[in-house]
Amino acid sequence: MIAYYFQRLIEIFPFFLKGLWMTVIVSCLGLIFGTIFGFIMGVLRSQKIRLFNWPIGIFVSVIRGTPFVVQIFIVFFIFPEWGIQLNAISAAVLALTILGTAFICEIVAGGIKAVPKGQWEASASSGLSIVKQLRLVIIPQALRTILPPLVGQYVLLIKDSSVVSVIGVVELTRVGWLTVVRIPEGLMVFSLVGILYFVISYPLIRLSNGLEKKLSVGQISL
Amino acid sequence: MIKFKDVNKWFGSLHVLQNINVHVKPGEVVVICGPSGSGKSTLIRCINRLEKFQDGELHVDGMPLHNYSINLTKLRAEIGFVFQQFHLYPHMTALENVTLAPIHVRKIKKKEAKEIGMEKLVRVGLGDKASSYPDQLSGGQQQRVAIARGLAMSPKILLFDEPTSALDPEMIGEVLDVMIKLVDEGMTMCVVTHEMGFARQVAHRVIFMDEGEIIETEKPDQFFDNPQTERAALFISKILTH
Repeated sequence: MIAYYFQRLIEIFPFFLKGLWMTVIVSCLGLIFGTIFGFIMGVLRSQKIRLFNWPIGIFVSVIRGTPFVVQIFIVFFIFPEWGIQLNAISAAVLALTILGTAFICEIVAGGIKAVPKGQWEASASSGLSIVKQLRLVIIPQALRTILPPLVGQYVLLIKDSSVVSVIGVVELTRVGWLTVVRIPEGLMVFSLVGILYFVISYPLIRLSNGLEKKLSVGQISL
Repeated sequence: MIKFKDVNKWFGSLHVLQNINVHVKPGEVVVICGPSGSGKSTLIRCINRLEKFQDGELHVDGMPLHNYSINLTKLRAEIGFVFQQFHLYPHMTALENVTLAPIHVRKIKKKEAKEIGMEKLVRVGLGDKASSYPDQLSGGQQQRVAIARGLAMSPKILLFDEPTSALDPEMIGEVLDVMIKLVDEGMTMCVVTHEMGFARQVAHRVIFMDEGEIIETEKPDQFFDNPQTERAALFISKILTH
């Protein structure tokens, strides 16, 4: 029987690859937008400007303090009541973007705050504008602190993308659920799902570990 | 060039600058000394607005710093600042450290900025270290790169905040030599330092501060040989017997 199920699993393997592709698409878009908005918010948060600090602080706390599945339900089921109608994939990308933004914001703000005050003073004394201070002096140094946890966050986002299956996005986890109905061998089916997640996450885990080692020792030019 | 008029500054309830009146003329070299916490660093940090003050007037190169809407970029482009801890940009080579502001503030072309940067590095005796990163340089070399960085904008004023205090004794000389060269070239300089030999040799005036106040302003010989106040005399005796 096991051999039969295994045979069936191989037959429908292309279906898993389609699910994997959807996971990659949704996660990549979420982490790209999350990185962009997270960087912008992180920079603003690091500046101790009350106008930004207060609302960003609330946003980050709310997103970090609520389950992702609740957030995605709100985006998919509640937003339409406010006139924001999104299909499942767009809602998934938006929810992952919001989640990524909140976490990346904190990583970026932490990295910028870790740059010694003297670097701000030296660059300000040279006459550089605040934007140029950030772009040329502060962020390149902050990246040493930011990059390893940022890549680690990407891994978490990829794994969190499994939650979007609850609104019907046919990504890897959803494919697992659909398959287990036809092949009632849960261990086999979800082992395959787990392996496929691992295949895309592992290179990022290696990258994160590698960056941590490389950036913590010696001089490198970023 | 620099004119403080009744400047007062508080950190919370702490009165760190009290009725400061100082006038520094072009080409003048002023050494500011005093015990820790006397307000000397705060005083020179006001000159390029790293610190704000709450009361009084300060004109630097004709710009009124008590008017908070001044163009800070324009002000700071004319003032070089050398820090105690160097604060070189660790992700850039010595030459990149020196050329950053000329390229991005003065908008000088990269090639020209590199030529200017090399000239400044040669001037501080580090022409062969242009492609070294700060962590490949000794403390004295780093501070000389910081001076070259300050010079690269061709400033009208150079401010030094205890430039030799973080250096090993054998490296102090090389930094002071560069500073003496700048004095000879007629640079306007305000130097916070405890290097009394330097003060005696090159300063036009010595300002002695304590608890946020200027206690004495004298010519170096007068200050060291015949201090007018007990506090200054005590400070000099401590420094010289150290």
